[in-house]
Amino acid sequence: MSLAIETEKLVKIYGNKKTMVKALNGIDMKVPKASVFGLFGPNGSGKTTLISILVGLLLPTSGSARVLGFDAARDSVEIRRRVSLLPEGFGFYDHMTALENLVFLATLDGVPPDQREERALEALEKVGLKDRANAKVSTFSRGMRQRLGVAQALLKDPELLIFDEPTVGIDPEGAAEFRNLVRRMNREGRTILLSTHLLYEVGMICTHAAIIREGRLLVQGSVDELYRSVREAKGFRYEIRVKPGSEMPLQEIRSMPGVIEITQRDNHVTVLTRNDIGGSLFSLVTRNPYKDIVESLTPIEPSWEEIYRFYQEEDKK
Amino acid sequence: MMRNVFSIARKEFTDAVTSKRLWLIAGIFLLFSIASTYSTSFGFRIGAQRTTRLMVQIASSIASATAYMAPLLGIALAFDAISGERERGTLRILLSRPIYREDVINGKIVSALAVIGLTITVSSLAAVSVSILLHNISVTIDDVSRIGLFIVFSIVFSFAYYALSLFVSTFSSKSSHSLVVSIGIWIFFAFILSVMSSLIATAILGPPPTRAITVFNMSRRQFGNFTTPGGATPQELEEYLSYMRKVSEISGAIQAFSINYHYTQIANSLFSFAAGPLEFGQRGSTIASIPTVLSTRLIDIIVLIVFPIVFLVASYMVFTRRQEK
Repeated sequence: MSLAIETEKLVKIYGNKKTMVKALNGIDMKVPKASVFGLFGPNGSGKTTLISILVGLLLPTSGSARVLGFDAARDSVEIRRRVSLLPEGFGFYDHMTALENLVFLATLDGVPPDQREERALEALEKVGLKDRANAKVSTFSRGMRQRLGVAQALLKDPELLIFDEPTVGIDPEGAAEFRNLVRRMNREGRTILLSTHLLYEVGMICTHAAIIREGRLLVQGSVDELYRSVREAKGFRYEIRVKPGSEMPLQEIRSMPGVIEITQRDNHVTVLTRNDIGGSLFSLVTRNPYKDIVESLTPIEPSWEEIYRFYQEEDKK
Repeated sequence: MMRNVFSIARKEFTDAVTSKRLWLIAGIFLLFSIASTYSTSFGFRIGAQRTTRLMVQIASSIASATAYMAPLLGIALAFDAISGERERGTLRILLSRPIYREDVINGKIVSALAVIGLTITVSSLAAVSVSILLHNISVTIDDVSRIGLFIVFSIVFSFAYYALSLFVSTFSSKSSHSLVVSIGIWIFFAFILSVMSSLIATAILGPPPTRAITVFNMSRRQFGNFTTPGGATPQELEEYLSYMRKVSEISGAIQAFSINYHYTQIANSLFSFAAGPLEFGQRGSTIASIPTVLSTRLIDIIVLIVFPIVFLVASYMVFTRRQEK
């Protein structure tokens, strides 16, 4: 697996001996290329510190980080040439227009002079702000500023985009647009690292995820792997929807190996099993007498809240 | 790397020259200078004694305005140079670009030097030009050289305060804190230290001879070639002058910590205007030549140049080593 980001035993300690705070405590993180990697953790868990180290704004106390093959501590400028960052708590020059801000940043990004305005306008169009290109940033709402923040990350042609809490302050419509933009960029082959404290964001767009808590990575992997490991520990859940007014015979299902619990409510039957019996259940419901009664069979994925709680509990053990 | 420095410098320069803050300071500076020169030339018209050429005395009035305004200009440009960027979150956006931290601070320094140079040169020349036009003064090459030198030293003086305030700004995460500290340092150097130095000198030496004070106050206007009114003996006068020389020495030694003192000493020598501590026996009715001024004020000139360099290096080290999340 080709990696966009790889960290090894990354430690970051703030303060002196008396006021020491261990923000990162031995992070080993692997972000595959062309993935949408969700870095989930509550506020203060170390997400921003980790991102700051990745782009060379902070130096690690120990350990190493490689981004697109470059050492984060030594080659930070090379990394920032290839990586776009939307930092948390960023700001713009309020007295300048959106276009002026982006043209200035494009200059620092090394965009050739004849392409700066064009690139800036393209970026503004992608975030739906082209019609406000010549408006001063001081007139922008919080959501518009956040979109402008996304636009500045699109100025260069980055291999990797890092978004730190990108949907904070954006309305639901804007957040949906942002997710579409992330999917689009990912389809173009770009890697996206998305740091968030909102669990549903991870589930909605990420192909891979990691959970960070108190400076430690509790788990990481593909979203499917995370679902599977929680299912294996907590049980597999299936929902069978039966036609209204029909009676579902449960005897055969009860006798299947590993079934823990069956609950029935209205026309929904929920089956909790120890093993993955999806295949057997499917065979069952597609033959008589079930095929005339059953409308659908759906495996229920654990929610991200469940996943987070599960790994938190595992960590406490 | 240089490309990034100039990109940042260009943006900073545009921001500065279009800011109300700079125009306000430049405006006050100009008004203050013109008012001072007008009052000096008006004094001459109604018969005040001229101790030297009119143009030089008018320039000395501009210098007294500059002594107050130049530090404020430097502080106005620097107090939020880094802390403001930090506060607004623009520093995070800047540092996420493929640039070095040095580029940010270098860009700001280059721009500040240009803005200070432009503001002080234009304001001083405007004030001088207004005086020339108003009073129909003839200007000699020596006058032009003195004014030129004065402008250069004033730029360095203002830049010294820029460097000091920039240093404070690199530490602060709030511009208001940076402004209060910078203004506090200016007030200390410009006002408190001179008062403190006299108090300390008096405390060390004890009170001056009482009769000599009376005698001196009666005769000070004729100082240099005075008679001794009120029956004071030359011995009493000598006693007083000796006392005051010691006060001046102690006070000067204390004020040597202030950049304002060194600037005032240089401007004093260039224009012989009455500011700064008294230096008995050194002030005459004729003005010293420029080479003499430069050689006698060499230490002051060195301090004036070294002061901003020290604070620039310190700002540079703090900013480039500080890690921003």
